[in-house]
Amino acid sequence: MPSNRARSSSRAVSRRAFLRLSALAAGGLAPLTAPGARRAWGQAAPKKGGTLRVGFYVEAATMDPHLSGSKVDRQVYHNIYEPLVTLDNKLGLRPGLAESWQQPDAKTIVFKLRQGVKFHDGTDFNAEAAKFNFNRMKTEPKSVRKGELANVESVDVVDAYTIRLHLRRPDAALLATLTDRAGMMVSPKVIQEKGAELERNARGAGTGPFQFVEWVKDAHLILRRNDAYWNKSGGPYLEQIRYRPIPDDTVKLQSLQTGEIDVMDYVQPRDVAAVKADRNVVVVDVPSLADFAYQLNHTRPPFNVKALRQALAYAVDLEQIVKGVWLNVGVPANGPIPPTSWAYDSSIPFIKRDLAKAKAKLAEGGKPGGFSFTVTTNNIPINIQEAEVIQAQLAEAGIAMKVKLVDSATLLSDGNSKNYEMISYQWSGRPDPDGNTYQFYKTSSGVSLNWSGISNPQIDAILDKTRETPRQADRKKLFSELVRLLQDELPMLFIVHPIEPKAFSPRVQGYDPVPDGMMRFREVWLK
Amino acid sequence: MWQLILHRMVATIPVLFLVSAGVFMLIHLTPGDPIDAMMAESVDAGVKETLRRDLGLDRPLALQYAHWMGRILQGDLGQSIRNREPVIENVGRRIRPSLQLAALAMAISLVVAFPIGILSAARRNSPLDGAGSLFSLFGICMPNFLLALLLIFFFGVTLRWLPISGYTDPFEEPLAGLRSLALPAITLGLALAAVIMRTLRSSMLEALAEDYVRTARAKGVSEWRVIGGHVLRNALIPVVTVMGLQLGTLIGGAVITEYVFALPGVGRLVVDAVFARDYPLVQGVVLLIAVGYIVSNLIVDLLYGWIDPRIRIR
Repeated sequence: MPSNRARSSSRAVSRRAFLRLSALAAGGLAPLTAPGARRAWGQAAPKKGGTLRVGFYVEAATMDPHLSGSKVDRQVYHNIYEPLVTLDNKLGLRPGLAESWQQPDAKTIVFKLRQGVKFHDGTDFNAEAAKFNFNRMKTEPKSVRKGELANVESVDVVDAYTIRLHLRRPDAALLATLTDRAGMMVSPKVIQEKGAELERNARGAGTGPFQFVEWVKDAHLILRRNDAYWNKSGGPYLEQIRYRPIPDDTVKLQSLQTGEIDVMDYVQPRDVAAVKADRNVVVVDVPSLADFAYQLNHTRPPFNVKALRQALAYAVDLEQIVKGVWLNVGVPANGPIPPTSWAYDSSIPFIKRDLAKAKAKLAEGGKPGGFSFTVTTNNIPINIQEAEVIQAQLAEAGIAMKVKLVDSATLLSDGNSKNYEMISYQWSGRPDPDGNTYQFYKTSSGVSLNWSGISNPQIDAILDKTRETPRQADRKKLFSELVRLLQDELPMLFIVHPIEPKAFSPRVQGYDPVPDGMMRFREVWLK
Repeated sequence: MWQLILHRMVATIPVLFLVSAGVFMLIHLTPGDPIDAMMAESVDAGVKETLRRDLGLDRPLALQYAHWMGRILQGDLGQSIRNREPVIENVGRRIRPSLQLAALAMAISLVVAFPIGILSAARRNSPLDGAGSLFSLFGICMPNFLLALLLIFFFGVTLRWLPISGYTDPFEEPLAGLRSLALPAITLGLALAAVIMRTLRSSMLEALAEDYVRTARAKGVSEWRVIGGHVLRNALIPVVTVMGLQLGTLIGGAVITEYVFALPGVGRLVVDAVFARDYPLVQGVVLLIAVGYIVSNLIVDLLYGWIDPRIRIR
């Protein structure tokens, strides 16, 4: 744990520092964030044992990765289950349960699976087990993974440890998708024997460094070290991990400060400065993949008029919002792709405030005297503050914004039914830029995450091309082109790429922050 | 007494029917959708439609209500949409901490309210009475969440005497359990003590002005026997009424306290269920809370008869 770094870092992270952090994370020169480097600092060798107590804001929903639809589940899964492909702390793809992979052509991927891996129930992980998992994700009626695997046509077993995926169409983002739930392998025996009980009890189900022990709903979820873990170099070191939900942010933080928990998943921007000054707490700034924005409804007035969307963008001052509301725990967004991504193009500036241009665009849109509209946003403090700041900024351009505060269930249904003019949208982000773009901007009918209703042939063509292009450098160019188009078309008003600070007790050592925000505890140990 | 209970049970039926219709309409009319809320990041419209059909959410509201009522009449409260467990299991898990918290808070409030209330009434307009009034004003005015945070700050963060969040079952680990419930019980107990103390004081003052008190004093009965034997018993009826009403609130409505102290109680269950639009869970829990209110009021009515034989039903 780089405790001295966290303590000595300035109270708020500047935009430049964040970009540098992200660049380091992406470029791999990162003695600041890489844990390997930490050990090289000559700290004590890891030691086994102890219980790590983790505080989460909410309880997990299900232990079945194929049926899971909530983010907090993934935090637990990444310690019990293992995906075929894993992410390193620079978002690079690394072998997971698949030792290697090849693409003989754009529509075929062959995975060589790791040998000698056993599920916690003692059964072997092999090609048959992998095929079983893919089939279940694609056919189980309640499976939430169908969309992610829509491009996978079929899975063949080549030999005991080789599988071949046939794709419907080329999909350059698929490997990154397999680093999370869609690539996680569950014991077929456990699935067959437990059935729906797997949702509450994942005993024996994974291959990961920790195995499920018990889940007393609303109280705690306990994992124990898997002593038979296949990878003998390094961890797991911890004897146990004990997760528990603490809904109130202030109380969760105080629980950490008084030593009742060792880890908390997220520190609110308003608390970051105070926590960094506390010697009993170590803060790690984890640049995220997230993309916080407002969707603009292209299917109804006023934002069916492009010039009015542009007037809005020119009237908003992102720097002020990020400084005043987010307290610099994040950076202004130039588009949907975060600075942590290899596809981020730092040469594209975010849209700067320009009241003269805003007024000109208002005139061009047929509303020289301004217009009024309603924003729908979550009834939580930071969203309310943000809306109030935007409201004041827009007023200076003659645009009157009314604020409608709703809870998240209402927000989701308003968005899905396009029952809004401008609506808050906070996306947690995906390792491949495809996950932050395709589903939001591709023309679609019916219910989709394309809440704005944007339908632009040029954007559609680029999105498809990014999936068909195998080389990362070529894809990066396409994504840059996309971001420029999005800044012009504005299906969303991009606001911030937040940092997701996590806080630890000084006892906790060896945590390796991956920008997907998931806390993998294999290498973690307690001093 | 049995007649009273039977009478009450019959009167309960229309109340429960109204509660069921009310909560069903309100939660279904609230914007939002359980499937959307559950799968915020899923794009798969097909999966959502299948789920909606499986849960019967695509049918007309009246049909859904009839279906739900039909199952309730068979004693089945249905299943939570979110965790797919029976409502009764969800409540079963949450009711223990809620009942323990309510009992402890009630005990704390009685221990605090009775001495202060009795002394305030007996020494009316003395500095002691003034201090009592000040205490009750403080207890009534102080919002729960603020008191909770202050207690956390002093006893949890500064002095480190007590844990500030989480729950341990006192029947499994008595000491750790009581420690985990101490701060939330004090938070709820102090506010309740203030209400009980004020009620007790005013009803005792009323009783103190009665003729039988003058008679007792004239007979030479000691002042403390007058208060203990005559006044207190006659002053208890309003106090018991208040306690009965508050007990129901403590079990189902201690939402903020449960939230702040991360206690897995019924209040938080119902609020989380509302946010998730988990229709069966909201409906089931509200119905059970209504039953809880009815039962606690019934107990209060039975207590009336025990305290004051004059209102016993013959």
